[in-house]
Amino acid sequence: MNYPIWDLTFGGGLLIAVVAVTHVFVSHFAIGGGLFLVLTEKKAYREDDTALLAWLKRHTKFFVLVTVVFGAISGVGIWFTIGLIHPAGTSSLIHAYVWGWAIEWIFFFLEITAALLYLYGWNKLDRKTHLWLGWIYFIAAYLSMVIINGIITFMLTPGNWLKTYNFWQGFFNPTYFPSLLLRTAFALALAGIYALLTGTVQKDPELKGKIVKWSARWIIPAFIVIPFFAWWYIGNVPEIVWESARGKVPTATRYANYILVFSILTFLFSLATLIKPKKVPFVFSLLIFLTAYGTMGSFEFIREAIRKPYIIYDYMYANSIYKNQFPGDGGLSIQNIQQEGLLAVSKWTAHKEITNDNQLEAGEDIFLLQCQSCHTVDGYRGIRKVLVQNQWSQAGISRRISSLDKMFHAVMPPFAGSAAEREALAAYLAALAPLDPDAVETAETEISGEAVFEFHCSDCHEYAADDTLFTGMAKYDVAQISYLMTRLDSLDEEMPPFEGTDAERETLARWIAEQFK
Amino acid sequence: MGTETIIPALDPMPLPAPFWLFKLLLVLTFFLHIVVMNFMFGGGLIAAFSGLFRKKNESDQRLFKDIVPKIPSLLAATITLGIAPLLFVQVLYGQFFYTATIIMAWPWFLVLVLLMFAYYGFYIVALKQDKTSRGIGWVMLISIFFIFLVGFFYSSNFTLMESPATWSAKYFQDRSGWNLNGSESTLIPRFLHFLVASVAVGSFLIILTGLFRWKQEADYARFLIVRGGQWFMYATMTQFVVGIWFLISLPREAMLQFMGGNMLATISLLIGVVGGLAAIFIMSNGIRNDDPRTPAWWAMGITGVVVIFMAMMRDVLRTAYLSPYFKASELPVKTQLDVLILFLVLFVIGILVWALMIKRYFFTPSAKITE
Repeated sequence: MNYPIWDLTFGGGLLIAVVAVTHVFVSHFAIGGGLFLVLTEKKAYREDDTALLAWLKRHTKFFVLVTVVFGAISGVGIWFTIGLIHPAGTSSLIHAYVWGWAIEWIFFFLEITAALLYLYGWNKLDRKTHLWLGWIYFIAAYLSMVIINGIITFMLTPGNWLKTYNFWQGFFNPTYFPSLLLRTAFALALAGIYALLTGTVQKDPELKGKIVKWSARWIIPAFIVIPFFAWWYIGNVPEIVWESARGKVPTATRYANYILVFSILTFLFSLATLIKPKKVPFVFSLLIFLTAYGTMGSFEFIREAIRKPYIIYDYMYANSIYKNQFPGDGGLSIQNIQQEGLLAVSKWTAHKEITNDNQLEAGEDIFLLQCQSCHTVDGYRGIRKVLVQNQWSQAGISRRISSLDKMFHAVMPPFAGSAAEREALAAYLAALAPLDPDAVETAETEISGEAVFEFHCSDCHEYAADDTLFTGMAKYDVAQISYLMTRLDSLDEEMPPFEGTDAERETLARWIAEQFK
Repeated sequence: MGTETIIPALDPMPLPAPFWLFKLLLVLTFFLHIVVMNFMFGGGLIAAFSGLFRKKNESDQRLFKDIVPKIPSLLAATITLGIAPLLFVQVLYGQFFYTATIIMAWPWFLVLVLLMFAYYGFYIVALKQDKTSRGIGWVMLISIFFIFLVGFFYSSNFTLMESPATWSAKYFQDRSGWNLNGSESTLIPRFLHFLVASVAVGSFLIILTGLFRWKQEADYARFLIVRGGQWFMYATMTQFVVGIWFLISLPREAMLQFMGGNMLATISLLIGVVGGLAAIFIMSNGIRNDDPRTPAWWAMGITGVVVIFMAMMRDVLRTAYLSPYFKASELPVKTQLDVLILFLVLFVIGILVWALMIKRYFFTPSAKITE
């Protein structure tokens, strides 16, 4: 709206996900790995183990090449990418937390310098100075997480910031500490997981066994405490938000299942390395690496998914529209756009008015402005597939657009725009997936209560005993339910009228009356 | 579509510190970034050229071997020091900056990919034991070329950011982000201005390496100072041509800023011209001496001052370009005093710790761990 939209056909969300997940998997290693380097160096001195020391020197090079190069550029990369996909959200984060970012930058600067000096120091420094540099590295790296964790958790649980706009109230928000501990534990685990990669290629079985055992001591305890921190974290996420990951929103639920599988596998595989530590093949360490990647990636996906429909919870929707009207919002609040119209408020649209001739093009503009921050036509979260599958008429699409914020556990923001704009969007979407006459016929000939429920009700209602549809209808008989369905808007003014045939209505009424008895 | 109607509305959050502080930090951190970037790019380019095209000169081959290991760390410093001005420019000029990046989204995104390749390329060269092996000079040159492209995309973005009048046509012609700012008449001279300056300032990496080697081997050190000095002089002479081209390519109002319209801009330009001439003169005399150290220090010092003024000139130019649409100095301010103080305290501690690290690394008597 305020900014142009980068029309990325495969999906901006996917691009962010790829850059971000890869980055965090390296950046957490950069933190835990720092402590690993120092403690392993001390261990090697204590045990007077020159072989371990020589490996650690090589591991440092690997560490620097992965974290200082890939980690640093992909970190800047997230910033570049979110600025391209969510400029308004990025601007909010920058403005609210400039000094947070600036402080993180100080630590980042120290971190990078210390990492390089630690690497080059292997050939130059005495043990004490070298270890000192390692400690500076770890402390600076950890402190950079202390800062960025405040800003990331702010996005999900801004807490009192929403009322006061106070830096610290947003920073030390309800999920700050559980998230910090969760990330700390994961960072320590990753130190061991990456060490397995370089450790298992060692030829000397004694050295290899030692590294594997030492690495496992980083991974296993971390994976034992992670569930506790996760539990604490979940406890601080508002219940309604967390419900998204408990079956109410497909994406969040899917990744909540993945994270369980991946983390258990990572834990079990890491335990398995202790059976014959001298014989762990590289491929096995790679397997642990990949399951850990799955764990971390799932965590980030859950966090992003449960935050939907917001980019900053209760402040800005994922499509950059402000939730509430306030001075200086540039007219970009949902209320104002609903009053004024999306195209009128938007700066970056080719069509400012809808006419009979431009309805489809204007509809496309509306899709781009309002939907494309999460959806694409045929790529990531592609909309065409959904439309083809469901065979909704244009009127059906329009009706669903009116109740976007009721669908799928309110994962989408309400539609912001005028009635004409809603129709234009519906026309554009309908044109993406012209109705298949065969499919319509099939739908008409095979009437089952469940199918009618799926088709007409399931966008907003769940098949669950506690859903308002089933609790509300429990006291009525079939005839009464069937009658009520002819005047749904009298039950709740936001409900659209029932659009099915009389036969479908009768079938649905019978089916509803039989459920959850 | 009117230019002003498409410029995004300001972020509703006020500036969390006075405008002048952000401006100071922006110009200061940009200066640091650009100097280190010049060392990395210019120094790397000179090294690559010496390594590839002066095969017969043993000293040039040594120069290559001595300089290339420094480039990855300089790239690390360039990126790290680049973060701060990028942050502050987004604070002050976010609505212009983000819009420009989105219009040329793919080149802007490619910056990351190019940086990554260049970075690993530099490391391949730096870590390679046998630097005379075939192809290693080319890896260096190709990596430098990637940085060259990054610089071009940066110039494109920052000129595009300052020309809102061209946005609409570009964006509505192609919303997929495959734009550059080729139609901008100042783009090429501006980019060349930065490029040539990079070589001039980058030569200081060679000269400084010479200066620090002087006590160990004066002959080779003198060669480095002379070679660096030659690159400096030729680049700075070229700059007079490129600089004039850049100046006359500017829109009239912007150009007049440097012709008395704006005192700071005019003085900066004057210092640039006089400083440049003085530095060339001192360097050309100096490198004929047996001991060119003092003149080399002088030429570098003068150039350092010139670069500071150039950074300020660049800022005046941006303000002039954007003045029809926006004045950052009029942005509402609500200082986050407690966090600002914390930043300043940590900034000072950060500098001290950094200096201590450097001191302990370079000045601790060598006692190798492995010995």
